[in-house]
Amino acid sequence: MYLKNLHLQHFRNYPEQSIEFTGSKTILLGENAQGKSNLLEAVELLSVLRSHRTSRDRDLVREGEEVARLVANLKREDRGNLEMGMVLRGNGRRSVALNGVGLRRQLDFLGVLNMVQFSSLDLDLVRGGPEMRRHWLDGLLVQLEPIYAHLLQQYGQILKQRNALLKAIRQGKVGFDPEQMALWDAQLATTGTRLARRRSRLLQRLNPIADRWHQAISGGSEHLNLTYAPKFDFVDTNAIEDIRQAFLVRLQQKAIAEQQQGTSLVGPHRDEVVLTINQTPAREYGSQGQQRTLVLALKLAELELIEAVTGETPLLLLDDVLAELDLQRQNQLLDAIQDRVQTIITTTHLGSFDAQWLSSAQIFQVENGTIVGKV
Amino acid sequence: MVYTRPLARLTRTFPASPRHWPQIGQRLAMHIIKRPEEEVAALAQALIDAKKLVGTCTTCGHLSAEPVCEICRAPARDDTMLCVIADSRDLIALEKTREYKGKYHVLGGLISPIDGIGPEQLNIQSLVRRVSQTPIKEVIMAISPSIEGETTTLYIGHLLKPFTRVTRIAFGLPMGGDLEYADEVTLARALEGRRDLD
Ligand SMILES: Nc1ncnc2c1ncn2[C@@H]1O[C@H](COP(=O)(O)OP(=O)(O)OP(=O)(O)O)[C@@H](O)[C@H]1O
Ligand SMILES: [Mg+2]
Ligand SMILES: [Zn+2]
Repeated sequence: MYLKNLHLQHFRNYPEQSIEFTGSKTILLGENAQGKSNLLEAVELLSVLRSHRTSRDRDLVREGEEVARLVANLKREDRGNLEMGMVLRGNGRRSVALNGVGLRRQLDFLGVLNMVQFSSLDLDLVRGGPEMRRHWLDGLLVQLEPIYAHLLQQYGQILKQRNALLKAIRQGKVGFDPEQMALWDAQLATTGTRLARRRSRLLQRLNPIADRWHQAISGGSEHLNLTYAPKFDFVDTNAIEDIRQAFLVRLQQKAIAEQQQGTSLVGPHRDEVVLTINQTPAREYGSQGQQRTLVLALKLAELELIEAVTGETPLLLLDDVLAELDLQRQNQLLDAIQDRVQTIITTTHLGSFDAQWLSSAQIFQVENGTIVGKV
Repeated sequence: MVYTRPLARLTRTFPASPRHWPQIGQRLAMHIIKRPEEEVAALAQALIDAKKLVGTCTTCGHLSAEPVCEICRAPARDDTMLCVIADSRDLIALEKTREYKGKYHVLGGLISPIDGIGPEQLNIQSLVRRVSQTPIKEVIMAISPSIEGETTTLYIGHLLKPFTRVTRIAFGLPMGGDLEYADEVTLARALEGRRDLD
């Protein structure tokens, strides 16, 4: 897959900007707060229909404007040339179009542009909170199994309703109604089970690939292991109904605590992705540098899995992260992707890049929402 | 955005607008202010009349100027069939199909804790009374298959099952909307509710 160009209008701090990609590496160079990450965010939106920085479309539309437009032209191996269009409005209503034809279901937009994001924040994937790891997993699932986006949205709505009920009970606004609660429990467990199964299956597929990359990069014989760890007894080989039952049993056990705290304590919104190296939790294992190696292995595994499943090479978006990797890891990354993977890189300075990255790259200077020139 | 004072007052005067339609007051105000005065006066009168005269049917909860609505009074309609819907708009939509000859029960919303709506806020007690006290052969739940609709349908289903047969309308593949998708659950539901082609 190759992203040929991108056009932004009234998006974030961009008044109007076109950008033509010519090589396999593009570097966006600029001071802080000039719009480098905003440009990557536009690609993220086209890929997964959401931004990791905001859930409100109003934030994405340029201040003082009502409507933002994104247009991208790309070439896929399987479907040829495609034009993706997206209109964002301050009031939250979106429209998407493929080759100029409006899509009734936004879901049909997912999986057209595949990408792997790797930002400096991801360097905390091992040490950071579990929500970071869930978010990472969800972003990958949405690309590989578009129906997952629908399940995630449904689960979010059930959770909101159930939490509102628990909160009202805690505040004494409504009495505990076992009939009604049982129905919210059932919906939470049904959709929650489906999310948990998909997450678990994905980690199983990712595990051997990540382990192989981890060994290759660390040059060692340590074994990396990824497992999905829900807050209830979860055996992912069990029948779906058994998993759902286990979910419901744990909800029963937590019922009192949930009413006291006024929030849902069991379900995929609380689950953990456990990373271990030689059976030791990765967060306790090794130095910060070793943990970075692990994150790099995860990202390369993500890239490889998308490639294997879709048959297309995804885009790699490196936000501020390359300068944070030492030269050895930069080279390992470059070795892995070579010229095959189209890569867009943001940075405030070129000084810490290995010369190999610069030699073949197209470099744009970004200033205050405008690409002011090529370097 | 600066409004002249009377226009600002008009904008604010529109009753608290539905969550999903934020600028309704503003839009209506801008539209109305451009119409001829007679038209606006007629509108004002119509609004007052509607508010004064329209209440809800004491039997089914549908909007009605009489204590008991026309549908509830119609002798030709089947008293033994009851169709449960969320609000009067759904009733109107169903009536337009001219397929249904039974009677209705309007809940006045769906169970939605986010909006502070529980079973007590809906016309559920009156429904149970109606079903338990009159010979009803079948209750058809015709509620959209949303998260809230599902909870409401099942909640009422449990309450009514001891008294009568409860069915739900078959949902085909959903139309329009946001991120909907013909997933397994939807397909299964559509299959369950299948019927022979005439
Ligand atoms: N809706 C918007 N309208 C106008 N400007 C916006 C909007 N949203 C964000 N901005 C501006 O965009 C800038 C941030 O851009 P971005 O996050 O792309 O910075 P960056 O170039 O990646 O910087 P850094 O090197 O610090 O990561 C800020 O100046 C912010 O005020
Ligand atoms: Mg940035
Ligand atoms: Zn009536």
